[in-house]
Amino acid sequence: MNELFDTFAKAHAAHNGYMIAQTLSPVPPANQPQMLSSVWQSANHQSVQGTIKHFIKKSASASYHSSLDNTELNGWVEVYTAYWKAIGEILAGESGKSSWTKVYDAWKDLTSMLIRGYNNHGFQAWTIPSLYMVGKYLRLFAIKSDEERSRNSSRSQAGTTIIQDDFDADADKQSQLRDCEQHLKRIFTLCLTDRAPLEESRKWGIYFVINLLFKTYFKLNSASLSRTILTSLKAFNDRGDMPPLESFPKSQRVTFKYYEGVLFFLEENYVEANKHLTEAWLLCPRSSKANIERILIYLIPCRLLTSHVLPTKKLLEPYPRLQELFLPIAQCIRRGDLRSFDLALQKGEDEFVKRRIYLTLERGRDIALRNLLRKVFVNGGFEEPKEGNAAPVRRTRVPLAEFQTAISMGSGGETVDPDEVECLLANMIYKDLMKGYIARERGIIVLSKKGAFPGTGV
Amino acid sequence: MQGWTTTQQAPGVAAQHTAAAPHSYPSNPAYTSVSVRQGFGPYTSTPAYPGYPQPAAMHAQPATHESQAAKPDHSQAKVKWPDSVRDYVQRAFHPDNDDPSVSRSEVETKLKSIIRAATEDGTLYTLDWASMPSPQVLVKADRSATASPASSLFNSKKRKSSEFAQSSDGHTPPPWANTNFRLSLEDRITSPDKRLASDESRTKSSKFQKDANKRRRRFENEYKAHRGTSPSPPPPSSGPIVGTCETLEKKYLRLTAAPIPSKVRPEPILRQTLDLLKKKWRKEGNYSYICDQLKSMRQDLTVQHIKNEFTVSVYEIHARIALEKGDIGEYNQCQTQLRSLYALGLKGNPIEFKAYRILYFIHTANRTGLNDAIADLTSAEKQEHAIKHALDVRSALALGNYHKFFRLYMDTPNMGAYLMDMFIVRERLAALCNICKAYKPDLNLRFITEELGFESDADAAEFIIDYNGQHLLEDRKDYIAFLTGKAGALFEGARAAAFQKVDIKGQI
Repeated sequence: MNELFDTFAKAHAAHNGYMIAQTLSPVPPANQPQMLSSVWQSANHQSVQGTIKHFIKKSASASYHSSLDNTELNGWVEVYTAYWKAIGEILAGESGKSSWTKVYDAWKDLTSMLIRGYNNHGFQAWTIPSLYMVGKYLRLFAIKSDEERSRNSSRSQAGTTIIQDDFDADADKQSQLRDCEQHLKRIFTLCLTDRAPLEESRKWGIYFVINLLFKTYFKLNSASLSRTILTSLKAFNDRGDMPPLESFPKSQRVTFKYYEGVLFFLEENYVEANKHLTEAWLLCPRSSKANIERILIYLIPCRLLTSHVLPTKKLLEPYPRLQELFLPIAQCIRRGDLRSFDLALQKGEDEFVKRRIYLTLERGRDIALRNLLRKVFVNGGFEEPKEGNAAPVRRTRVPLAEFQTAISMGSGGETVDPDEVECLLANMIYKDLMKGYIARERGIIVLSKKGAFPGTGV
Repeated sequence: MQGWTTTQQAPGVAAQHTAAAPHSYPSNPAYTSVSVRQGFGPYTSTPAYPGYPQPAAMHAQPATHESQAAKPDHSQAKVKWPDSVRDYVQRAFHPDNDDPSVSRSEVETKLKSIIRAATEDGTLYTLDWASMPSPQVLVKADRSATASPASSLFNSKKRKSSEFAQSSDGHTPPPWANTNFRLSLEDRITSPDKRLASDESRTKSSKFQKDANKRRRRFENEYKAHRGTSPSPPPPSSGPIVGTCETLEKKYLRLTAAPIPSKVRPEPILRQTLDLLKKKWRKEGNYSYICDQLKSMRQDLTVQHIKNEFTVSVYEIHARIALEKGDIGEYNQCQTQLRSLYALGLKGNPIEFKAYRILYFIHTANRTGLNDAIADLTSAEKQEHAIKHALDVRSALALGNYHKFFRLYMDTPNMGAYLMDMFIVRERLAALCNICKAYKPDLNLRFITEELGFESDADAAEFIIDYNGQHLLEDRKDYIAFLTGKAGALFEGARAAAFQKVDIKGQI
């Protein structure tokens, strides 16, 4: 207990938020694995508040800059009392005498106390890293608690009388995480609506909390709820009532940009997604390979759709998992090999679906098809020159049958119905991947003399 | 991390499992003729008393052929089994898990040995019982039997749900459906315990046993009364109620307070109700009546926590009828339920409804939902005709392959066409935009008719005219020409509008 509050006093004297956050960690520091249990043992349920108050006062008076007034002091006593109870549950859980659900509930009380500290006890803005610490673990404990329940489940809802018409199947599964979202939202509001001047505002906590909320929404399978958060954030940004993102720590910026990008990706706004993901990719230190991988998983399909760019071997070199995911597909697209493309897509389907990129990658087939048709066009050679030294002109009137043969071969040899071939060509034209028109009566495609396949040099 | 009550070792586990077995009646249908089990407080007890002390169950061990083996000594009587183990045992004896090829005694023997082994090596509390395969499975694995037969009962049906209702009468009924309704006093069940007793009396009806059962029931009711859980109205935490209403039809009323048992129909009555409703639907086709009745049935099932194959059939029937009548709100509610019911492993027509689900997500252009729906499918399911069809529809649209899409539209299994009808106009517009940009200078109208799945040239022409394309139609000597070259961006606006407004009701 002594050490804990020495740290607390030091942090207070130095206004060191990260240090104070450390005193609220549910994980003991690596060099003091016994820290939690010694804190737990130095008080008991009856006297815990008094004990904590005593320790805080003692440590605070030992340090010069003790600026704790009584209200704030009482606030911290409440917070550490809740903390003490929570680590009690954690320790009990380690010896099998508690559950994650109880840990979560205790930690939730701690969260509420801390929030109350800001609202009622005048906690200062420099202490916001303690909100990060508490919020971060609140989410982790909620997930653990949900997992624990689903392991023991088969009795969901059994104890309650239902007055609904139908069962609510999903309500129970992640109920704790849903609950957690409410509390994170409270922290979000706490930070967002602080009216203190920017230099001492809790607004500096905003991106940390937003990132926590994003993670929660994605886990809850309701990523779209992140939009509402972004909307309220935007209102503040537009008013200039929020520090610019650039002034926040890099780790928070990268995470934020990543989630913003993925969100656009899921909404099929690939242009915006591309922008944000690229930003995240550029910001992210090359050493955090796992994060780079996460970013590239979405950035690569994005690039494929927006600018028809395929990943190079060199880019993927450090990431064997990404190579496995993307190289086969990329090769098929490059070669215009429709059949192998379908197979590669099928092969990776489970993984792609899991990562929600299947439906995007599938559209790479258009590019594969474009490449195939382009080959037909290039192989068609040039028109007989009409005048002696005019620049050679490619043959732009291509019989439908030639495309049909190519597509049939590309699809693994089975003959593709000419109507379907026309349909595929019409699509290419409609999507501006190919320029020209189909003259059905004459059974030919008339391709543009200039840039029949935009962006490919012919 | 539960059931820390005691870690006391049970010396005679073999005897114990029968005591735990009574909990194996969670939601079983009334007419399952399972062989005798010492059913004690089956339906409500487990949920209502999570920490139900095992000794009480011991009293519920009257004379049966099993009782000798189950005779507990006093030290055992104090042992409390972890809930996870009880759930496991419960699962093992649940009728849904019955496997004709594995006899009950084999299951029992297997269970005994599993639990004994776990007790002996002290893993009783740490094992993940929830994911442990059922004894039936283990027995079969022991026999190294070949793969179990596919469970698909799917058979292709026509579009009309009323036709379904007809065919469903001739449908292979589940085993319990065949049991005759015996409307003896005892069968007009007021509590699941009695229901259980009647089951037993049917299979083993010695007078002595009946009395024993009655005694046991009485005891149990007293016990319950002591625990203060049975007085009505029940407190909010009293678990599922058991209905006593015997009227077949009931108007739907939204619940605002805990349901009253006398106004809730128990499952046997609901089964009769369903038969009645099917007949009425066929005869009268009054949707608002049927919908109202089905909703009240669903409510009764829910408040009684009945989740079994009968529940599935109620939701399936309501979903089909709602689909036919275009009541997307109810349809969606049913789909949501069906999804979780199938996930419980209950039998029904998951293939059919999973296919609908995909088609519906195509309609609402819900990519996240679509992605999840695909993620939910096993590779075997992807090969099933209806699901494969739905997936092909999806990929055809994703790749803009309208040619393939309209071929698939013409050949939609089950009632999928009702769903496809919801987005067919939108896709026709999209295809028209495509065609108008790609074909110059004109096309035979017949080509449009065929490519876009119209019934006739007249229909195709009408569609074009509806979107102000009359000037694009030109009467030629032996055909009507569609002047694609002059269309410009005529259909683009309509297309964009059609894709924009997707009405989402009762979203899944």
